[in-house]
Parts: sequence; C-alpha cells; structure tokens
Amino acid sequence: MTDLPLAGFLALSAVLLGVGLFGILTRRNFILLLIAIEVAMNSAILNFVVFGSYWGTVPTHGLEGQSVAVVLVGLAATEVAVGLAIVLALNRLRGSINVAEATVLKL
Amino acid sequence: MRHLHQCVPQGLSVLGDSPVILDLLAFLVLAVTAVVSAIAALVVRELVHTIIWVALFFVTLAGFYFLVSAPFLGVLQLGVYAGAVTILLLFGVMVTRKRIFAREAATGLGPAPIALALLIVVVLATAASTIPASTTQITEYPVSALSYTLFNQYGAWLLLLGLVMLPALAGAIYLVREGRE
Repeated sequence: MTDLPLAGFLALSAVLLGVGLFGILTRRNFILLLIAIEVAMNSAILNFVVFGSYWGTVPTHGLEGQSVAVVLVGLAATEVAVGLAIVLALNRLRGSINVAEATVLKL
Repeated sequence: MRHLHQCVPQGLSVLGDSPVILDLLAFLVLAVTAVVSAIAALVVRELVHTIIWVALFFVTLAGFYFLVSAPFLGVLQLGVYAGAVTILLLFGVMVTRKRIFAREAATGLGPAPIALALLIVVVLATAASTIPASTTQITEYPVSALSYTLFNQYGAWLLLLGLVMLPALAGAIYLVREGRE
C-alpha cells in the first residue's frame, strides 16, 4: 500500500479539481453546478485522507486527515441540502433552474 | 478484535499482505474510472444520466478510501454521497422538470474555462511532482482509534459543524416553505 505513489493521488486530485472547476465555469444548470462543486470538494477530501495516510504520526496512524475528512463530508452534505433548497425556491419563483435567471437580488 | 479491514473484500484490501501490483492496478482502474465518470457527469446532456455518472464517481472515491486504509471513510462516502446526496440530487431533478428525460440546451464550451482548468491542473501536478515519496508505514487501526481522534482532538470541529448545520437546515426549510408568493 505504501508503495502507491503519493504523487499519483495528488495528480488525480488535481485533475478532478480541474474537472470540477471546468464544470463550475461552463454549466448554466443549477443542479449541474452543484454536482461540479461536489466533484471539486471530493477531490479536496481525497487529498486530506491521502496526506493523512502517508504522513500520519505513529500514535494516531494518520487519523487526523480522516477526522478532518469526516467533518468535511458533513459540511459538503449540508451544502448540497441548502443548494437544493435554493434550486426549489428558484424553480418556484422563475419556473426554471438556469442560474442566469437567478437575478432576484440584483439591483 | 475483528477490525473493519478484515471485512473488506480481498481485492480492495490494503493490508500489508496484498500484492503491490494488485494495489497499483486497482489504483489505475479507479483513477481512470473516476476521471471519466466525473467528465461524463458534467458533459452528458441528460440530467438523469448525469446523476448516474456522478453516483459512479462517488462509488469510485469510496474505492480509493478502502485503498488507502480508510475503511470507515469509505463506508461514510458510500452512505452519505453514493446514497443520500445522489438521491437528493435525483429528487431535485425530479421536482424541477416537466419531462424527466428532457435534454439540456448545449452550452458553448469557451476556450477560457478549459484553459483555466488546465492551468490549475498543470500547476497542481507540478507541485505534486516535487513532493518526495514518503515511506511511512500505514498500520491497520481499530475504528475506535478514529473515534478517539475525532471526538478528542477534533471535537471542537464537530461542534462547529453542528453550529453550521443547524442554521443551514433551518435556512433550507425557510427557503422551501409554503406560502411564499
């Protein structure tokens, strides 16, 4: 296990972050936007776990990274719940979930 | 004491006794699947297909967690992401469209977003290549050790998460409540 290259995980995480960023920048559908944010967030969580596993100190066996990851998973799930509530409210208000139509707060 | 590790199928097991080649093969297959499913989820035109691809992406990440000896987090990923978040997204698709399989309008892929994403990937990959390989041995641990670390060292973080979650859920209920015009 320890022979798996750390750089491989980091490169994978970078690619996933790039994919998520690309989705955030190009998609106009609110649900697709949420999914792109989740992809980027998952790449960050994977980084926490992998760094923790590789550089964990002996008494805790790298469990710090996993502890942070548990907190982040909860945070990301909360974010999806709030995001979907906004999707429902936007759909009720505008009849569409295109982010370009979310102009309620504009002056 | 029976650890969670021993319940994981042998192919995914990362105990010292599994061959290195097998782990490397699993890593490569999982990495390719993760990248392909993530791209497919954001590129396919039908939202329901997007949900299916993103579910595959979440399951693949759970595979990574089993691979790096984090079985608890793998199970959490399967439960929270592959289970709850996927169903929540599907529910969102279901209630916001008139036809479930309606296609998305194609959006023009401008060169700027792709260039920016590629730039980020190149910068991060360059930084990753400078990190020396670590030789720390990953030892198996009882899940109780994770709970000890989580609730002692990171107890304040958990409380903070609760403090964030409560207003977030109240706000979500406020947003979708009946009687708004």
